[in-house]
Amino acid sequence: MEQDVVDADDGVFGWNGKIVEVNLDSGGSSIRARRLEPEIAKKFLGGRGLGVYLVNNELKPGVDPLSPENILVFATGPLTGTAFPTSGRHAVVSKSPLTGTIFDSNSGGFWGRELKNAGWDALIVRGSSSEPKYILIQDGAVEVVPADKVWGHSAKECTKTLSEMHAGSRVACIGRPGERQALLACIMNDYGRAAGRGGLGAVMGSKNLKAVVVKGTGSTKVAKEDEFKAELAKIQRIINSNPVTNDSLPTLGTAVLVNLINACGMLPTNNFQEGVFEDAEGISGEKISETILQGRTGCAGCPIQCGRLTKTSRASGEGPEYETVWAFGSQCGVNDLERVAEANYVCNEEGLDTISTGSTIGCAMELSQKGMLEKRFGKDAPAFGDAERMLEVVREMASGETALGRELGEGSLRFARSHGMPGAAMQVKGLEIPGYDPRGVQGHALAYATSNRGGCHMRAYLISPEILGQPCLVDRFRTEGKAALVKVMQDANAAVDSLSICRFSSLALSPAHYARALSLITGIEFSQEEFMLIGERIWNLERLFNNREGFTKAQDTLPERFLKEELPEGPSRHKLVKLDEMLDEYYAARGWNREGIPTDETLRRLGLR
Amino acid sequence: MAENAHAPPLSPKITPEELAGMIDHTRLKAFDPPKRIERVCREALEYNFASVCIEPVFVPLCAKMLSGSSVMVCTVIGFPLGANSSKIKALEAKAAVEEGAQEVDMVVNVGFVRAGMDAEVLAEIGGVVDVAKAGNAKTKVILETGYLTEEELVKACKLCVQAKADFVKTSTGYGPRGALPREIRIMRETVGPNIGVKASGGIQNFRDAIELIEAGANRIGTSASISIIEGYTWATLTGAWFSKESPCWKCPSRKTNLSKVPKELFLYYKKKCQSCPYNKEFNKFYE
Repeated sequence: MEQDVVDADDGVFGWNGKIVEVNLDSGGSSIRARRLEPEIAKKFLGGRGLGVYLVNNELKPGVDPLSPENILVFATGPLTGTAFPTSGRHAVVSKSPLTGTIFDSNSGGFWGRELKNAGWDALIVRGSSSEPKYILIQDGAVEVVPADKVWGHSAKECTKTLSEMHAGSRVACIGRPGERQALLACIMNDYGRAAGRGGLGAVMGSKNLKAVVVKGTGSTKVAKEDEFKAELAKIQRIINSNPVTNDSLPTLGTAVLVNLINACGMLPTNNFQEGVFEDAEGISGEKISETILQGRTGCAGCPIQCGRLTKTSRASGEGPEYETVWAFGSQCGVNDLERVAEANYVCNEEGLDTISTGSTIGCAMELSQKGMLEKRFGKDAPAFGDAERMLEVVREMASGETALGRELGEGSLRFARSHGMPGAAMQVKGLEIPGYDPRGVQGHALAYATSNRGGCHMRAYLISPEILGQPCLVDRFRTEGKAALVKVMQDANAAVDSLSICRFSSLALSPAHYARALSLITGIEFSQEEFMLIGERIWNLERLFNNREGFTKAQDTLPERFLKEELPEGPSRHKLVKLDEMLDEYYAARGWNREGIPTDETLRRLGLR
Repeated sequence: MAENAHAPPLSPKITPEELAGMIDHTRLKAFDPPKRIERVCREALEYNFASVCIEPVFVPLCAKMLSGSSVMVCTVIGFPLGANSSKIKALEAKAAVEEGAQEVDMVVNVGFVRAGMDAEVLAEIGGVVDVAKAGNAKTKVILETGYLTEEELVKACKLCVQAKADFVKTSTGYGPRGALPREIRIMRETVGPNIGVKASGGIQNFRDAIELIEAGANRIGTSASISIIEGYTWATLTGAWFSKESPCWKCPSRKTNLSKVPKELFLYYKKKCQSCPYNKEFNKFYE
């Protein structure tokens, strides 16, 4: 392996100070270790921020995301591998083939910690191999290995095989959807965890890269250990005193949201045609607990343990989470919890994004309802409420063995366009909107529209203040102040994602807590303001990338359904998203011009110009 | 009836430390063992809350753990229904003060207030105030505002002033609803600047707390103390947390539930709602 001068004992705390680059182009591929420049680490931290910086730096405008010119970055953060609660996460960053935007996907489990313990802050994958390969990282030793034994395997089978071949390792891999570059393919790790959204599994497949196997025996150094220990005790007390992180999530998992969101009249039903699902109780977290739950699980170093281990009459696995319960449940008009769980298992085993998969099937169901699919697919077109057919369609999307499965695997926008009804795709910038109807939450609606990676609930998660009352309750139907709140939460979350921390911790903690922990771990003083500035910097860099790829104000919008059609019943009835009341104010809050372009003054303030 | 819908949003200047100093860190559960109350005391010391508010049986424990600190021991009397005899309330208060309580929150006889039995109410409050003062302790009177009309609330506040109580307080947390800004304003206007006003019941986050303080409360009773203080740092990032909300959101009329209050009280508040100038603009509760 080529190596720039990298001294493992150069006194770096939090970070390892090292990045490994693998170029799959050359016949035997080339591998190079290089330094993570301290200035870059300070400005972008790690995880999402570091990945965004690297992708933005390297990619020329207009790169085809499925070409060898695209890069794939796996990145950990300065808190990964420490005892900070919920720090077992990593980011995967690239240009998305689904949206064409810059895209970071975030995953939990144990893989991220393993990469960090192996001594690397990030892995950059370039080029494309002519034959299937996997990357094997064992501490400082990195090699590219033929993957013929596992190519064609599901993600589950691949993980099992490679884990057994390389005892003590963790595996991130793609399944068959990723191999054939389906745009809804994701990268699975630790069996039940996913870098789910944006089709980054397709990027991996386009490189003929089946897996990244990691084994790490090191640890992350902490600068101020005693103070950090004391701070950890305080952090734990705060998490323990919060009703969501200490009670709701551990007890009922994320699906605790089903009844709550339905009671607010904003549980998307039948492809967002309605906001109240009659049998929400039948697919709720409470129902999971009463029927299919076998146990709880969680990611590395997590006290919340929101994961569910479940078993139906036919299969078993991890999950389903709230988004998956919504996507295969009310989105498709399905109230059969077992079929919903089994659809989740298929996605985990094969490597498909559950949100986009379920949303796309729901889109197809609406097209079918309106007679748009009869000619092409006949009785094979799925219908709302048909649980068995929904599950079969998921299998077809995973295997790609039918035309319907292959077409749906390209996402709802392409599917709906090709069948004459693009308005049926509930998406922003090509990414399917998750399980919260925006007509019930004005701030969250603005967050969807302005998200840099498309229809995403996690960029800002205004559900937290607008529904959960964390850190305080704000009126979900009003637009006043929402622009400022969206900006603050987008910035905070960008920074949190760059530490590589689970977002659930931010239901109890604030940026001040993260800044303090970061300071104690790295030995570098970060104030709350500096922490937020880092998040703002990352957000603006993402925006710059998207602008140069052709994204404009025109794409900061929502499907017409949310702007013009009211929900027919429930507590959110008669509401529309008032985007025009919020968007200009949002741009102003961001320091952008009226076209949504960051101004020179803003970019200079952020150190981006 | 609804508060001014067009008032500018709050822009609080109170620091987290000042806010903590106004909080009675409360834990009033039937099932708590002593260890859980020890944790309450440790948390109060860490955050420098005004007091711990706990059940009478835990007064000696808390007095010992908080001895020498600025955190006071506060307990509850005639709690939660306020239907014990005046004699028993006075005895309970005396015992609490002798065991180390520095503040006693007594629940007034709500039925007597509603029946207009002013002399009895005055005597009851006075009985507790006297024994408390004899032990250098302060008395807060819980009025359970969710059971009262606004006129009854004003009268009850005046009786507290007359009885020389130290605070008037809204709720037990076990009544039909918690504290609302409108009634805090009424209480403050009635008792004047020299008597304390404590808001309690349903205070879950920093916005709730600040709104009640801005309305005139100078003490907050809550079990969500830590979430409030830790969450308050978000307020330093933007004042948008305090943006306007629909005036009906925190109006007593909206919060009054027929299944929890006497029918005549529900009708009283419904009538106020129907004659409210904001009824057409914001009220969606009777669609």
